Amino acid sequence: MAKKHIPAPKDLLPLSPTLFHLLLALSDGERHGYALKREIARRTNGAINPGAGVLYGTINRMLEEGLIEESEERPDAHLDDERRRYYRITSFGRLVAQAEAVRMRELVQIADDAFGLPERA
Amino acid sequence: MKLYRLLLNLYPARFREEYAGPLQQQFLDDYREARTIGSRSKLWLSALVDLAWSIPVELAHELRQDLSHSLRVHARRPFVMTFTIAILALAIGGATGVFSVVNAVLIKSLPFRDPDRLVVLWDFNQKFTTPAEFHHWRTSSAYLEDAAQAYTAEVNVGGVSEPARVTIAQTSFNFFSALGSEPMLGRGFAPSEDVPGNDAVAVIGHSLWQQLFGGDPRVLGSKIMLNGSPMTVIGVARPGFDYPHQSSVWTPTVFDHSRLPYKGRGWDPFGRLKQGVSLAQARQMYQAEATQWPRPTWMKNFPPPNLVPLKVELADNIREASLILMAAVGFILLIACANVANLLLTRTAERRSELIIRAALGASRARLVQQLMSESVLLSSIAAVTGLAVAYWAAKLASLSQPAQLASQTYTILDWRVLSFAMGIAILTGLLFGVVPALLVRHLQPAGDLARMHSSVPRATRLRGILIAMQVALTLILLAGSVTMGRSFLRLLDTGMGFRTDHLVAMSVSLVGTGERSEVQKAEYYREALNRLRAVPSVEFGSAAYALPLDDGFGVGTITLDSGRESPPLLENRVTPDYFRTMGMPLLYGREFTAADTGRVAILSEGIASAIAEGSAVLGRKVIARKEPYTIIGVVRATRYFSPDSPVREQITLPVFQKVPDYATFLARVHGEAGDSLTACRDAIQSVDREVPVFNAKTLQQRFDETVTVPRFRTTIFLFFGGFALLLAVAGIYGVSSYSITQRRREIGVRIAIGASAQGVRAMILRQALWPIAAGMLIGIGGAAWQGRLLEHLLPAVPPVDMAACAASAALLATVAIVSIWSATSRVLELNPIEVLKSE
Repeated sequence: MAKKHIPAPKDLLPLSPTLFHLLLALSDGERHGYALKREIARRTNGAINPGAGVLYGTINRMLEEGLIEESEERPDAHLDDERRRYYRITSFGRLVAQAEAVRMRELVQIADDAFGLPERA
Repeated sequence: MKLYRLLLNLYPARFREEYAGPLQQQFLDDYREARTIGSRSKLWLSALVDLAWSIPVELAHELRQDLSHSLRVHARRPFVMTFTIAILALAIGGATGVFSVVNAVLIKSLPFRDPDRLVVLWDFNQKFTTPAEFHHWRTSSAYLEDAAQAYTAEVNVGGVSEPARVTIAQTSFNFFSALGSEPMLGRGFAPSEDVPGNDAVAVIGHSLWQQLFGGDPRVLGSKIMLNGSPMTVIGVARPGFDYPHQSSVWTPTVFDHSRLPYKGRGWDPFGRLKQGVSLAQARQMYQAEATQWPRPTWMKNFPPPNLVPLKVELADNIREASLILMAAVGFILLIACANVANLLLTRTAERRSELIIRAALGASRARLVQQLMSESVLLSSIAAVTGLAVAYWAAKLASLSQPAQLASQTYTILDWRVLSFAMGIAILTGLLFGVVPALLVRHLQPAGDLARMHSSVPRATRLRGILIAMQVALTLILLAGSVTMGRSFLRLLDTGMGFRTDHLVAMSVSLVGTGERSEVQKAEYYREALNRLRAVPSVEFGSAAYALPLDDGFGVGTITLDSGRESPPLLENRVTPDYFRTMGMPLLYGREFTAADTGRVAILSEGIASAIAEGSAVLGRKVIARKEPYTIIGVVRATRYFSPDSPVREQITLPVFQKVPDYATFLARVHGEAGDSLTACRDAIQSVDREVPVFNAKTLQQRFDETVTVPRFRTTIFLFFGGFALLLAVAGIYGVSSYSITQRRREIGVRIAIGASAQGVRAMILRQALWPIAAGMLIGIGGAAWQGRLLEHLLPAVPPVDMAACAASAALLATVAIVSIWSATSRVLELNPIEVLKSE
């Protein structure tokens, strides 16, 4: 089903933490679902560790919204299982991730002005 | 792993197809890593939590997508969508409305405490003469925890702004507590209040309280006059409470039978079963006890006394009717489903190219089936919401037309049972008519079908045939039912009552409790009232009678003929001069009463007169009635008294002024519309004495119509459903034939191009289209015969379904089918074959 109108990146904000992390995890190349899950868990020290159903549900939504796409290329056949699917971020996905980061930066700025933020340990 | 794979089936089709592989792979990876039992259990736990969370999310997501797709698709054909929703809304709404009645009457409990333990005691022949006797009996009962009695009668209410006539129940003091419905305001009766001298207290009904006291809570302690006796109001019953027989005043009874109103309905005893005693046990014990009591001789052939649940007793009149209605509505629902399935099938066939392309692009059959099913459930859900309006209207109609006995029942659709019923049938019908187009999709073969995308599908044609046959069969059954009902109703209306109901108005008065009057003064009141009635300009004749046909209140008794023989029980009436002329009942022999008749004279009906002497020879002979000799001065034809389906009864009529009653009904034959003279006649009688309430002012036609309300209601419903079914069938047959003919344009074009005549082609199409209709008719006729037996069993008054009714319905349906197919073919046959072929 072709999308009738393409939304502006801002229309999709704010992103859910899982979705944002998925975009971030795809910033440096293609990954399959399982690798994405592990990467997110590693980055967040296990704070975000989506189950397979939630993970693929989110991936499905990201595909529909054009944030990511399925990659046709596969790494070496002997390293891979054909059931695995690889995903890569689209340029629209990058724009959305950037927009989300900007939104967060502004939020941080407001919080800093309001309360002052401690230096990072 | 197998279990996990199984659980993945719970995901909606598209998601499952896309991600079942990766999901399995991921689970397998995790599983391999987890080596201990502990970590594997943890893995399972988190997998289950994940599934429980994500399955509903994905289902909702895909449903939303499917529905918005359906809306887009259907919006392109708004007519089909509106038609489908309208048909379903009517069918679902009708079913829900009828169910709300069934729910109120047969399922929901009565507004009494623990109502399932309340029973009515039929043929309770023990006549107690003091309250103490009754209370001794009830407290020593082995099977009843409590019991109460009520004697209902009509009385005059005075001492208030507007005199009125109401139904009063004289009850044992424990009436309210035994039912478990204490008054809303004030209190019920105290044990000391069913003792003579203490019994001048009354509980009044909620609507009477509104009517007479404007809902003023200071009503407690006020005085009202019941048939002239002052009563202190001590309570107001709950809204809607009117047990028994639409009572609106309750007073304690002292079981003094000589003081009970003469024209009463009699006693209604009821009880509450003891805990642990079953209905069957209690019934046995009651029958054993009741056979000891004296039983009047005229009851000797009656069935033995019985204990019946109160709810069954109250629902008695409407139970069968409700179940028949439910069945009729079920039929309508099925027909509507067949119709909508057919319509959607046509649409699916039209959308075949879309479906084939989607299948070729990788959409699985499961995915397409899911799409079609969610479309149909969407349609039926919208229809159900719209149908609630229909249901509301149907329930309202049912409340209006229900037999009076259940008038305290209100039917509401805002009940969880009714709403779940509506939701349930919406989903069920959605699945039912959705499954047919889905069947078609199951047999799509993308590779082969892509090439034959525009040709018609034999499977769809066959399915349509089956659906048409089913629809025809069901419609025929309903039509045969409604023709039978209609015929029996017409026969009922045709039955001569023995008097004319046109141009007649009637209204009653009761002098009880409206001031002391001697016999002479009472006679004077009636004379004056008659004079004023006759003075109304539109009145042709006026008269009065103690009892009127279509009303109860006749005396029943036997007379002794001059041969010394006893007559069978006769109806006894007392009338003024001009009564027979006013009623339009011609005298066969002799004359009617005149003002000059001061002696004992009587008019007999034909049957009993002929037992004395043939023809006019009976005039002048004597009979003994009420131990006095009466001379026969006239003979009339016997009439039906209570309703057109009641038997013809023989009667004796005596002049009213020889023993002046407290109660009478005035009658006037008027020029012009009877209804127009009603107010003038009523006012004329009211003007004689403001204290005497004039009630039941109606035309005789209205009274007659009331006696046929239930059969009329039943017939109307059946005719409506029969007509509705016919309409659905016509729409279905026409829609399907015109569609399939349009599909065959090319074939028809070729046939005509190679020389087939238009008539020949038309005959061929007709032959093919009539097959399923003929098959449906055969099934339908069988079904109608079966239904006839069922109806006969449920409603004894209904005649059996005759073959004529069946044949008439079948002929009607066949004509409609032929006409609709014929007109569908005309459009195609008028086309130029060359152009048809070119356009293809």
